[in-house]
Amino acid sequence: MKKLLTYAIMLAMLLTLMPVMASAEATDWEPFAENVTITIPVYDRGQAGIPNVEDNYWTQWIQENFGNKYNITVKYVAIPRSDVMNKYSMLAAADDLPTVLMEYDYPKVTQWAADGYLQTFDMELFAETAPTYYNRMVANNQLTYTKINGETYFAAAYRPYYDTAYTFQNFVRMDWLREVGYDYVPVTREDYLDAMLAIKDAGIAEYPAGGEMITGVGSDQNYSYRTWPLDEAEWAMYGDYNIPSLGWYPNYELLKYENYKYNAGLTNPEYYLTTSEDAKSAFINGEIYQYGGYISASMDWLTAFYEANPDAELAIVPVNGKIDAEAGTYPGYRTDNPFGMMVGFNKDATKDQLTAAWMYMEWLTQEENLFTFQWGIEGENFNYNEEGLPVTVSDYNGECKMGVNNNKDYWCITIEARQAGTIEDVITANLPHDLPQDFTEDVIAWYYDKVAVRDAGWAIANALYSVSMAAEGEFQTKLTSLYKEYRDKLTMCPEDEFDALYEQYAKEYAEAGYAAVTEERLAAYEAGSSTHMLNQTAEEVDLSK
Amino acid sequence: MSVRAVKNKGPITKTTWKKALTRDWHLYLMLLFPITMVFMFNYAAYPGLRMVLLDYKPAHGYEGSAYVGLATFAKVFRDADFHRALKNSIVFNLLDLLVSFPVPIVLALMLNELRLAKFKKISQTVLYLPHFLSWVIIGSVAYQLFKPSSGIVNVLLVKSGIVDSGIPFLTEKNHWAVTYLLIGVWQGMGWGSILYLAAITGISGELYEAAMIDGASRLQRIWHVTLPGIRSTIVILLIMNLGKIMGSNYERLDVFDNTQVRDYQYQLAIYIFENGLGNAKFSMATAVGLFQSMVGLMLVLISDRFAKALGEDGLL
Repeated sequence: MKKLLTYAIMLAMLLTLMPVMASAEATDWEPFAENVTITIPVYDRGQAGIPNVEDNYWTQWIQENFGNKYNITVKYVAIPRSDVMNKYSMLAAADDLPTVLMEYDYPKVTQWAADGYLQTFDMELFAETAPTYYNRMVANNQLTYTKINGETYFAAAYRPYYDTAYTFQNFVRMDWLREVGYDYVPVTREDYLDAMLAIKDAGIAEYPAGGEMITGVGSDQNYSYRTWPLDEAEWAMYGDYNIPSLGWYPNYELLKYENYKYNAGLTNPEYYLTTSEDAKSAFINGEIYQYGGYISASMDWLTAFYEANPDAELAIVPVNGKIDAEAGTYPGYRTDNPFGMMVGFNKDATKDQLTAAWMYMEWLTQEENLFTFQWGIEGENFNYNEEGLPVTVSDYNGECKMGVNNNKDYWCITIEARQAGTIEDVITANLPHDLPQDFTEDVIAWYYDKVAVRDAGWAIANALYSVSMAAEGEFQTKLTSLYKEYRDKLTMCPEDEFDALYEQYAKEYAEAGYAAVTEERLAAYEAGSSTHMLNQTAEEVDLSK
Repeated sequence: MSVRAVKNKGPITKTTWKKALTRDWHLYLMLLFPITMVFMFNYAAYPGLRMVLLDYKPAHGYEGSAYVGLATFAKVFRDADFHRALKNSIVFNLLDLLVSFPVPIVLALMLNELRLAKFKKISQTVLYLPHFLSWVIIGSVAYQLFKPSSGIVNVLLVKSGIVDSGIPFLTEKNHWAVTYLLIGVWQGMGWGSILYLAAITGISGELYEAAMIDGASRLQRIWHVTLPGIRSTIVILLIMNLGKIMGSNYERLDVFDNTQVRDYQYQLAIYIFENGLGNAKFSMATAVGLFQSMVGLMLVLISDRFAKALGEDGLL
């Protein structure tokens, strides 16, 4: 046993060191004899005050430090974040696809493969050019996702903490809770409804639960409504997050709950006209109980909240470890994909362009290059604190101003998060510290609770298919649009009409294409062309420590 | 009394193309630019229409995409969503025509009767302004005004006790239809009146003088002089508007979108965008677009013949 443990530790160390060992010789490349041009996509999120995404200090920095060294011209092409597929279609129609095509959603990249946008490539050649990148894929068991129908199409970027993501946090009005006699944030449905009704009755807020219109993809996630143990075939058929599963029992439970909250007067009757920005304003103005967002060193909406409500007390919503069988809720939650960007390559890219793109990916994976690209220039974009950790200058607005979220849309080709030592260091670096309340300890504790729930087997990863799914491509837009219409009607109907209406809409939804989608998924699952469900449990997790 | 009687016929001269070009070459040179634009944007894309016969995939191009004949049309015409969108488009465009077409005429007649020049100019400018506002702005302002419980209009109505609860101007399909159409009228009436005002300017002042000598009242002058004077303009614009019966304005529909009004708001532009462009089904989007254009063209031709049969000048 002792020997086995020693071997295991040695193996773990070896796996950890492999990327580092490889990186020593990774960039021993010869410059190209003739200049090679590669084009890299970068999201344009349309945010004000962000430098031109195609040409800025940091694109020039890449050119000077990487491109010029190897005789490569690196160009960037802006991809509107809200219109990705259309933009790529337009580029394809104009025969102007970038050298690299990348996206987070697996169905999108498999669609590209099916539509002939991408070329297959030899993973061994990739490994020779980009050993650090390749070894990291091996170490994280990502190679399985790089193939479609047995052919290699993708390289997979790394997503640290993909199954214990802590970066999105929900903030609630702890002061309101205290006013109605709660000294903790409710997690179970019973507690939550009780607290909301008390807040409403006390006249603190007219519609404490607020609510906002759903956006389509990723809306109405029903992971915590799935009863355990979960049937794997059902998971494969309905467990997706791109097309909402109207007609599946967890969705029924979720919408019935929404219907209840609406009819109880907790949800704003205008929620379906409320954008996320409106909801944010409502939270800042002290009209709603809860608002959630990604944490970062500079959270302008939290700053605005405290300015508008200087005496308010906020808390973050804890991780749920409880089974509430009566309400039909469980600690189950969705994990991210075990990869960041799925990176494919233009069907017309030449051998040199392919090599140059791989060099670009490898070069950005090198620790010192990645660090500068993620943190910027010392004294300008960041400073070291007393512990020797980098701290971003959140209001920096000078010549080296970085793109959205610290250049994320550039370095996402290799990794999904900024690295800075331990998880405690990372969380500390990614939270604001100049607010009336500091949430660092809370978020760190939250992360460890999440780890405990994950370790207990409650993390649910969606099924991924190694074959292209024609019905998904055919019906996704139509179904997500139809879903928005149906779910709002279901949310707002009288409680006694809910069941009949749900049955009717579920039937119509199935006929509109959802049946074809689920049948196709089942066929792929039965043919062994899908991933499998992780281990699951039905044990509660005690997070009261 | 008819305007047609006073057509001014000048001396008949013969001009050859050569003469005209030598004399007015600079005018023709100026014309070259708009003609190029029209050719580029209205005709140069025509070869692309062949994608309706293909299962067009952008990465494969026209040559590499599979030929499917009329299968795309067959698929579209079988699609229940297409029927829903088509029905809504026709109904709403007819209603739009019914409501929006006469208003600019009435407005032009009213503006024409204004005697205070300064007031007339200011009124015209104010009425033209909405045309220059984008639908995005109009939509967001409309929601701020007409939201059922927090919209300013409803807040005022409820507070003043006129209604018990807010009117769902934009959140119930029948109310939505009325609001949608009226906002359309508001946005387009000023701009639409320009052509009529121009046509009214062309009416000879002598006719008004004669009418006044005959003792015609102001209303009678409008009815017997002004309206007949702009009749051919009305007919031409009506024919052109009939061609838009199959059309559909995506921006206008999109800004007034919400999940409670899809029954009416789901029109062809939305269908094309969601099922065609949004899903990269370019063949399908082109097929529906082509269908719209063909029907529009046929309607223009038929109404033109009809107008001519009634003795009007027509469009062509």
